[in-house]
Amino acid sequence: MDRLYYTPREVAEILRISDDAVLDLIHRDELPALRVSPRIIRIPVAGFNAWREGRKPRRRRVVIRAASNRIAIGEGESLPEGAQALRR
Amino acid sequence: MIEATTDEILDYLADVIERAERFGATVLPPNDAETVAWERDGDDLFMDLAVHPPVGRRARLVEIVLRERWRAVGSDRWELAEYGYELRHHELAYRRALHRHDVDYFVRTYGVATHEHCEATMGNPVCGHYLANPPCRGALDGFDRLYGVWLTGTKTDCSQLRCLG
Repeated sequence: MDRLYYTPREVAEILRISDDAVLDLIHRDELPALRVSPRIIRIPVAGFNAWREGRKPRRRRVVIRAASNRIAIGEGESLPEGAQALRR
Repeated sequence: MIEATTDEILDYLADVIERAERFGATVLPPNDAETVAWERDGDDLFMDLAVHPPVGRRARLVEIVLRERWRAVGSDRWELAEYGYELRHHELAYRRALHRHDVDYFVRTYGVATHEHCEATMGNPVCGHYLANPPCRGALDGFDRLYGVWLTGTKTDCSQLRCLG
């Protein structure tokens, strides 16, 4: 299976910079990274490659439009009949 | 309670899509569209996104669904009323979901507004609802938690969660 993430240490080795420099990039929100626990940070390989190549997601324009279909959160979850009367 | 102005809520949706794409994921919709929309139904706004992590041909086997309902609470003010963030990992047959819906029922029955689902074998829940600990702070938080599960391949041990019933 392909690697899905790097550790900060691995990124430091790839970029030939210090661990602290990698953490600084992460803290400045330049390098995409995910904190998976209070002490563990992971850098997604796909995100790292895109960042290294200078590719950035295009910021989308967001609008509000009339709903085209009904969206039910928790749909399919079995709740007692009484719960349905409390919906919304 | 999480509240936002209309401008903030528009930015928020763009933030969620941007974050997922920065991690190399594909977001549907908009995929590659210029514009994305909140869906308005009465006094409610809905988010409905599906995120596929970057795993090539197997991408369809993993899906993170991000759904929210915000309700109007005044002029130019919105409140996050419901959410449903789900990881459906078909390759591992694993499901993890972070939910807030039917709040009156859950508060009355279990004393909490939010709950989780954890299925070590998708479709075979051992417990209907687990205690959410801690509740999500929105779609960015929900996405991070579920993307982290996929990224690291570390399935939450469902038996370690507290079953509400």
